Parts: sequence; C-alpha cells; structure tokens
Amino acid sequence: MSRAPAARRRPVAYLYLAPALAVYTAFVALPWLHTVWISLYTWDGVTIGTWNGLGNYRRVLTDSAMLAALEHALGFVLFFSLLPIAFGLLLAAVVGGRGGRRYPLTRAVLFLPQIVPLVAVGVMWRWMYGPDGTVNQALRAIGLGSLTRAWLGDFTWAYAAVGVVGTWVMTGLALVLFQSGIQRIDTSLYEAVRLDGAGPFREFAAVTLPGLRAEIRVALTVTVIAALAGFDIVYVTTAGGPGTSTTVPGVLIYRLAFTDGQVGAACALAVVLSTLICLLVLAIGRLLREDT
Amino acid sequence: MRRPSGPALPAAAAVAMAAVLSATGMTSCGVLAPGALTQVHAVPGWAVSTTVPAGRATLTVVSSENSGTTRALAAAFEKLHPGVAVDFRYTAVDDYNKSLNLTLSSDHAPDLALLNMLGTTVRADLVRSLDPCATAYGWDRSYPGTELAQWRADDTGVRLGTGHLWAAPAGFSVVGVYYDKAVAAGLGITAPTTFAAFEADLAKAKAAGKTPVQLGNLQGHASLVFQSVTDSVGGARTASRWAYGIPGATIEAPGGTAGARALSDWARKGYLPAGANGTDLPGSVAAFAEGRSLFLFDGSWDAAVIDRTMPGRAGFIPLPGPSASSPATGIGTSIAYAIPTRAEHPDLAAAFLDFMGSAQAAQLEFDTGFMPVAHADQVTAPSGSVLADVAAAWRRVDRGNGLVPFFNNATPTMNDTLTAAGQQLIGGRSSPAQFLTALQADWAREHG
Repeated sequence: MSRAPAARRRPVAYLYLAPALAVYTAFVALPWLHTVWISLYTWDGVTIGTWNGLGNYRRVLTDSAMLAALEHALGFVLFFSLLPIAFGLLLAAVVGGRGGRRYPLTRAVLFLPQIVPLVAVGVMWRWMYGPDGTVNQALRAIGLGSLTRAWLGDFTWAYAAVGVVGTWVMTGLALVLFQSGIQRIDTSLYEAVRLDGAGPFREFAAVTLPGLRAEIRVALTVTVIAALAGFDIVYVTTAGGPGTSTTVPGVLIYRLAFTDGQVGAACALAVVLSTLICLLVLAIGRLLREDT
Repeated sequence: MRRPSGPALPAAAAVAMAAVLSATGMTSCGVLAPGALTQVHAVPGWAVSTTVPAGRATLTVVSSENSGTTRALAAAFEKLHPGVAVDFRYTAVDDYNKSLNLTLSSDHAPDLALLNMLGTTVRADLVRSLDPCATAYGWDRSYPGTELAQWRADDTGVRLGTGHLWAAPAGFSVVGVYYDKAVAAGLGITAPTTFAAFEADLAKAKAAGKTPVQLGNLQGHASLVFQSVTDSVGGARTASRWAYGIPGATIEAPGGTAGARALSDWARKGYLPAGANGTDLPGSVAAFAEGRSLFLFDGSWDAAVIDRTMPGRAGFIPLPGPSASSPATGIGTSIAYAIPTRAEHPDLAAAFLDFMGSAQAAQLEFDTGFMPVAHADQVTAPSGSVLADVAAAWRRVDRGNGLVPFFNNATPTMNDTLTAAGQQLIGGRSSPAQFLTALQADWAREHG
C-alpha cells in the first residue's frame, strides 16, 4: 500500500472530521475520562468524594469477589464466543454453503434470539430452567428424570446453564455473519476444489474457512465483548447466584454503583474491565489480520 | 502541516479557564471532586404550622408506589381541603431510586418524596428532620414506637433506629407465615402457638409426603425464614438492634443461631423444596397455591394474590416464639414520605403526613394492600379472606412493638450477602456458623 502524498493532506479535512469528533468526544471520550477520574475517588454518588489515588484499583486487583467475577467473565468467552462461532460455522456450512440461498426459514429462526431483548431472553430461560420448566419436562419425557434439578439454583450447573443462554443468543449472529461471508466467496474456488476431488469437509477446510477470516474476526470481537461486558442475562437469570457462582463484573459494577454507594470502586472495576476488553479485541485483530 | 497558532491555543484556553475558575470562586482543588457542585444546605429550624394554609396550593409528590395507596390518600386529602391539589408523580422503583438524589437537589424539588431507604439523603441534607412535625402533631404519642423508629437516624443517616425522624409512614408490610388450611386439616394440625410446635408440624407434614415449607430462594427469600426465626426466638428488640446497626450488636447470638440452624436443618431434612435455590418468590407462591405444601414465609404484599388463587384456604400467623405467651414479632417496613429540604410547601406536606395516620386513611391503606399506620382495629376485611388474618396478625405485632426492620437493609450490601450466603447454606455449601460469620462480617464493615 502506498502512502498518500503529503501535499494532499489539507487542514480542511479536519473540518469534515469535526462533527463526528465532537459527538465522539462529548458522548464517548469525555464520559470515559470522567469514569477514570471518579475511579480515583472514594465516592458514594452524592456527598463530596475524597481522593483515594489508586486505592480502588488495588482493591479490584486483590478483592477475591471481583477477581472471581473477572474469571467468570473470561470463562463465559467459551459460551458466548467460541461455541457460537463453532456452531455458526457448522450451520453456515450446512444451510449456507454454495451460494447460501437455501433454508431461509431455518436462518430466520436461528437469528431470532438476536432480536429478542436480553431481559426477555433471561426471563424466558429462567422459566425454562425452573423446577417444573420445559428443560426438566423434556428430561422427564425422555426418561432422564433423575437428572432434573433447579438448574439456576444448582451450584454445579448454574454457571453452565447461564452460559448456554449466551450460546443460544450468539449462535444466530455468528450464522448470519458467516452466511453473508460465504456468499462473498468466489464460487470458482468451490468448483476448483471439487474438480480436485475434495469432499464437503475438505471443501469447508480449504475454501470456506479461509474465506471467512474477516467474518470470524468480527464475530469474535462482537461476542467477546458481549461475554466480558455482559450484564442482562446474568442479572435476570441468577443475579450472580447461587452463592457467588455466576457473578460477572457487570453485575458487580451495577451493585457497587447503584445499591452499595461505592461509585469510585464501581468505576475502577469498569475501567479494568474495559481495558481488558480493549486488549483482547486488539489481540483478536492482530491474530486474524487480513494481510498476514 | 503548518499550524502557527498551535502552541498558543492551549495557553489561551488555560488562561481563559483560570479566569473563569477564579471568577466563580472554584479555584480550591475540592471543586474537582465528584459531587462538589451539587450540594444542598440544610434548613436550620422550622416552626411547623398545623393549620392547612387557605387558598390554592399544589402539593407535588414523587413516589415509586404504584398500588394506589398514595393516589387514594391524595384524593381523600383533596376532598378534605378543597383548595389543595395533589400532583402525584410515579416512577418505577429502580429508576426512582437512581434519580431520587437528583430530584431532591434540583430547583424544582417536590413537597413530598417517598423514601425506599434513607440512603444518602440525610447525609447530603436533602430531606428535613420531621422532629418539629412529630411534636406539633403528637405522632410520638399516637404511633407505636417501632413504627417511627424505622425512619429515625442520626445526622449521618448511618446509625438507624434512634435520633431524628426523617420520614413518616403511609402504610406497612408485614412478613409472617401463610398456612394451607386444607393441608393442615388433613394432617390434623391447627395453627401452632409455639416455635417447637411449629417445627413438630414440619415433621408431620414431611412424614405425610407434603412439602413442609414452600420456598423460592433464587432472589434470596430464605432471608425471610432466617429472620422470622431469629426475631421470634431472640426477640424483636435484640433483632432490631442488629438491623439498625447499633454498636456491639451481633447476629451470632441465640436468635441468629436458631435462625441459621433452622434453615440448614430444614434443608437437610427435606423440609424445603429441593429446587428452592432455582425458584423465585412468585414461583413459590404459585407452588403454595397448588395445595401440596403446609407453610409459606411471605409478606402481606402477597395476601391479595394468595386470597385470589386459594380462596378461603389460606391462613396467616406471625411465626410463634418460644412460648405461647411470647410477644408476636414480624419483619416489616413502611412506604414512607419525607419532606425535602427544598420543598415549597412544607407545612402542607406535614399536614398530609399527619392525614396518613387518620382512621379514614387506615381503611384506604388496607384496601390498597398495606397494613394501616394507625387505627388498625377499625379496618374491615372481607369475611373468610386471608386478609382478615393478616390484619389480625399486624395488630398483634404492631401493638406489641414486635415490628423488626428487614435485615436486608442493615447495610447497603446486606441484601446481596444474605442472598448469596442463604443460597450457600441451604445448598449445603456452608455451615450455620459460616453463614452467621459472613453476615456479621458485612455488618461490621459498615457499623464497626
């Protein structure tokens, strides 16, 4: 790629940037800086805050509850990102291969979770996971009544149960991304690989997967952010319980800021979380760069 | 790119900024501290006039109460004082709590504001001390002491239960034990009068294949069981001291130990449903209405639903204490209104607060789902309805000063601690001693 000649850089370009920059500054950059600023104080949200330096950060990095929450969020990457992408690729290969215009109804149904508000998703799953909910009804129907339990109240299973909700929500997004990606792949590549005598698996590995690199990057970025910054699903299904087995930073930030009156600590945790997300997203971008 | 004015611009801006700051007297470094620009200053004294001012006036009320109580009270108050119009503004509770401090510190503060908790309103001087009103209207004499104690606090709003009065109640909720009369009759059980008899009934129900205690603990409602036992075994006074954060109080006392032991024992013996940790409160109420369980610990707020779903089949009692003559206790709190520091019509607001304790108000409060502030013996309930039981239980608890505030509000974080620790206790993940230690550790962080 060649650089644009210096002579063509005109100051007037900044004028075109200005409106977007102003909006970004006012509604993203400044609030974020404000958050960083508050994180340096001990503040209850109302009375005058007192300077606390890096005290809140020290607490975030040593408090076992907050570290556990960060750990839970990282674990959710499996359920919110890796599994949906794996399922999405599989489904895309089946329903969307070779032109990708088949099974429109299947696609629509699989995408449905994306357009349902997450709070409604949580309420629905809470009901399905209940002692007499559909999950247990299904288990009883197939003779596995001994496995039934109140899933969201079970110390062993609640975490995975919440994770499955995330997988359910995110798979549709991955599928739709991958399908549009497949439609972009040059069909002559498929013809070529078939002429070479490849079966559907080789075809997938040699053409589809490399062709979807950009879409996988987008899907990974979006879902990793959803996994780490998630709040709605956990808050509505378990609110972090049973015990503290499903707490995530989002839930702790909400509690610290709105019920515990520890706005400074909430902001510090939020800053740590957003830094972590930025680093991960940068790493994803690096790993799956188009031109390597 | 050449930018001759580049370095000059920030310098100019800095000079301008400094000029603005010094002009507004904001040069102390404290001004950059969060919250520094929005402080309200307390009104020093206030001579309350108990006559409702003549002429037209609009009383603005902000609230998160949506069961019609305040609206009904407002309508009756307007009728009583034809010159007064009440402007009632409802906001859903989450948004209400989040925006309350801003509402109270704004230039258009309301005349009355519902408080769901004292929170930081007292410390930030956002509400007035109602001591002058209590004296002027004689609330100290006409209301049971435990009713007003719930809204008393020192000037910091941290030490609760004694001190200045900051809000006045408009109606109470009380927690007790619902029982299924049909199931009880089948087991040959009448409403127990001692805690030992209550536990014996649990064993009987279990032996007969019924669920002794219906419970949904997804959102932590095992705390109602724990606290009910703690209150009735250890007594209302001891329990209240802990709930209010009185120095030296501890939950690791006979009452608390009995409460934790009961929860853990009942879970182990199968007296609680196996899926309790994964069921929410409405789910447990629905399960109770199905008629396969004996008891349900729940508040008066569910009385109307229970009456509708199992008409004539439900009864309600305060959880009995060690002996049949032990004073009745009950967990309870009130919806309560405070007069903001910046209220425009404080005397009119005080008159409204006083009206909430009248006999006319009592029936309005009861009909809209709350236990009356005063004159509880004058309210009437549909005959045969569980509401009549609830009203009778409330009279016993209220008159005997057996009302104990929710442990969940003992510290800002106690609700979360009780929820998590209670789930661990009935999930068999912790012992009663560990449960109490977790609660006391949370309490000690706030109250020392």
